[in-house]
Amino acid sequence: MMRVYVDINRCIGCRSCEVACKRVHGGKGHVNVHISEDRASVPLFCHHCEEAACTMACYSGALTKDGERTSFSLDKCTGCGLCRLACPFGVVWTDKLAHKCDLCAPNETPTCVLTCPAQALSNDYELALKRARARAGRATILGGKR
Amino acid sequence: MIQVDANKCLGCFACSNICPNQFITREEEEGKRRTIRWSKCKEECDICVEFCPAKALTLIPYSDSTPEVIEVSFDLVPCEVCKKGFATELLLKRIRETVPSNLQTDSTGRSWVEICPFCRRELEAEMASKQVVQSRRK
Repeated sequence: MMRVYVDINRCIGCRSCEVACKRVHGGKGHVNVHISEDRASVPLFCHHCEEAACTMACYSGALTKDGERTSFSLDKCTGCGLCRLACPFGVVWTDKLAHKCDLCAPNETPTCVLTCPAQALSNDYELALKRARARAGRATILGGKR
Repeated sequence: MIQVDANKCLGCFACSNICPNQFITREEEEGKRRTIRWSKCKEECDICVEFCPAKALTLIPYSDSTPEVIEVSFDLVPCEVCKKGFATELLLKRIRETVPSNLQTDSTGRSWVEICPFCRRELEAEMASKQVVQSRRK
């Protein structure tokens, strides 16, 4: 299971990831695109925290760490809402029962990554690294401007 | 029949969600107050007792003298940012107790527990896009 990297510089705020996520998760989406000052947009979803507060608050064993992934099992959820309050980023939802990003397990690549037309979402570590280096390089040449 | 320990009840959604007969209902005055009502039930079922995170529920023998409905109400704690009520005090207390204290603040040192999930997302987006917004501001 791999992480999803977000490149905010590339996000065009089209909300395709939101729609795609809703489509594959029975109408309950786990991505939220926020627009900042009409100048940038950020897709927000589960960080799959290493020390995941939601798994600590969950008393029924529905939220657990499964390697890098923070996994959720619907049949153990009571819908109490503790995880929603325990998520520092507000990306666990409770709509009767809880729902959150599952990285589209067991699929190899999450649907949002496959869908993003701007390649702002990727699960390629090397690509994320390459872009960050290129940006830093350009910034150095342009004297701090990015 | 259900007996409720009103001092222990967190005001969460577990029992009202899980009751197979809708004997437990929840009413919410958006952003202000939450009320949970347990109707007198004769079922031989203890799902709510089993799943209560606070162990606030117990089963007692059926009796005619107890009231038809037990009701517990909670004032919702207002979000530090938008001031709308979003959770009961006991739910937030539970989060403070179960999540290690070093995880209860964000990278700027601000505690996020008293901020509602909607504003947490807003703050996160603002923080993440700060640099990009600045570079595009000219």
